[in-house]
Amino acid sequence: MPSKLKKSLIYWAFLSPLVVVILFPFAVMLVTAVRPRDELFVYPPRWGFSEFRWDNFAEMWVKTNFGEALFNSLYVSVLSTVLALVLSIPAAYALSRYPFPGKGAYRTFLLMTQMMSPIVLVLGLFRLMVALGMVGNLNSLVLTYAAFNMAFTIWMLQSYFSTIPRDLEEAAWIDGASHLNSLIRIFLPLAVPAMAVTAIFSFINGWNEFVLALTMIRSSDDFTLPVQIYSQVAGRYQVEWHHVMAGTVLATVPVAIVFSWLQKYLIRGMALGAVK
Amino acid sequence: MASVKIRNVEKNYGSLRVIHGVSIDVEDHEFVVLVGPSGCGKSTLLRMIAGLETISGGDIMIGDKVVNDIAPRDRDIAMVFQNYALYPHMSIFDNMGFSLKLRKRPRSEIEEKVMEAADILNLKPYLERSPGQLSGGQRQRVAMGRALVRDARVFLFDEPLSNLDAKLRVVMRTEIKALHQRLQTTSVYVTHDQIEAMTMADRIVVMNAGRVEQVGAPLELYDSPANLFVAGFLGSPSMNFIKGRFRRAGDGAHVLCDDGTVLPVPATSGATDDQQVVAGIRPEHLRLAGEGAGVAATVDVVEPTGANIELFVELAGERVCAVFRERHPFRPGEKIALGWELDKIHLFDASSGHRI
Repeated sequence: MPSKLKKSLIYWAFLSPLVVVILFPFAVMLVTAVRPRDELFVYPPRWGFSEFRWDNFAEMWVKTNFGEALFNSLYVSVLSTVLALVLSIPAAYALSRYPFPGKGAYRTFLLMTQMMSPIVLVLGLFRLMVALGMVGNLNSLVLTYAAFNMAFTIWMLQSYFSTIPRDLEEAAWIDGASHLNSLIRIFLPLAVPAMAVTAIFSFINGWNEFVLALTMIRSSDDFTLPVQIYSQVAGRYQVEWHHVMAGTVLATVPVAIVFSWLQKYLIRGMALGAVK
Repeated sequence: MASVKIRNVEKNYGSLRVIHGVSIDVEDHEFVVLVGPSGCGKSTLLRMIAGLETISGGDIMIGDKVVNDIAPRDRDIAMVFQNYALYPHMSIFDNMGFSLKLRKRPRSEIEEKVMEAADILNLKPYLERSPGQLSGGQRQRVAMGRALVRDARVFLFDEPLSNLDAKLRVVMRTEIKALHQRLQTTSVYVTHDQIEAMTMADRIVVMNAGRVEQVGAPLELYDSPANLFVAGFLGSPSMNFIKGRFRRAGDGAHVLCDDGTVLPVPATSGATDDQQVVAGIRPEHLRLAGEGAGVAATVDVVEPTGANIELFVELAGERVCAVFRERHPFRPGEKIALGWELDKIHLFDASSGHRI
């Protein structure tokens, strides 16, 4: 056996437990989602099933009000991402280009906010939203998600921005561009990769968020996907597991695929600035 | 086109002063090279002319106008950066036409100007490519082209050749000089390479530690450097320096070195008797002395370059370089005698470094 093949086999052997741990929930999710209802609780449990039921998805869509929850999730994730980016870009630009008092402290502060779990702040945020009269309003989630994501997005963008040579902007100024013009025509087009990756990351954060959504949203019409799926399980006499699993498949798999595809860009984005 | 006047310009970073009251006049159509070791402030000064650095004190005038508080885009200058600073997401055509586009010139005019510049710089086949697809030399020419289309009043060059390989650098040097002879645009060129400075400049400004050491035509600086710094900086291999005491004896004069070596120097020198001096002589002014004449030296290292032989010898306890066009068969350890024309000797005061 060629030694290279042998090596990769050994590596995969070591990696396999990890792969199993990661893929097992997905496998359970998938086979449960496409099972007929009466095969849900067979003993002993088995992977196979008598019939591949796509209908589960259609039933689930109607019964769990999936469409509305999907829309709510998209609304919250997209708007919070846009808000976070719009506010982060100038902040990151200033951090990467201008000296200002307290710059180091500001960066440390950004990093420290990442060390705190959002759940610690839930009560405070809830009271804030009460005061703002925004409880039960999806926009409360837009605001909080954007705020939580900004530390990360600023940090990410800043490290990428620092790799864009200052000379390019200076050349544009000398060519006759105003600061704003050089930002729009030269700088931002070059920062598109970083902005795209940051946007995706922020989107996924909003998409997956559960605790704040559960706290802020009262009416089931405004539930986002994680809360909606949770509501299919919690406090019910009968849990329609095949519907729950069909819902989780639709909510997680597309995002998981996009995320694993973008991962290399994300890591590249993080590594930039770190080494330079 | 316009002149550039720099009047007592200072630059401070906090309490650190990096440029100490520099004054330089660049005449209309002139090609002036700012040269000096890294960190001497030459690039900072150029960036101040461009408006990319603020001016802490003094005035910079382009034409008759003080530009201290005028934004770079309103100074009507063009600049070539060390790393070219081409916009990576634009084609070569768009790179070169960007400034005209910003000025909202009609498409036909932009095309005409870009084509004209591309023609001068042999860039026509590359106009649709992106900067990443060009070689270093081509990118350099695009950077030049971007400056050319502007018809700017002043060209600024910030070490434009230092990212090129040695051969290309020589080619581009000649091209830039030929271009200047043709267009006659007032130019300020920054380099740390004294050969570039010597070959390209109408006038050279030698800078060191944020101060101007000497300003003058290349050969003027080469032949009569004002101080030890300029003497040592210009010329390659650089000037040899030998320390000693100035002595007059009869009609002649000499420098007496610590090890007793006697170096003949011109008696017309303004040095006073017993003054501590540094004698400087360029490698190409040393020659082999005849029997019983000259100053004794021991051959250390022989470096033939093809055109010349560079000979490193020990003379009066110093390592001294001599350049010969003739192919003498020197061997390490060989005892030789070196002589020189008296008027080729430069004398500097040992403490101040100034020319005597």
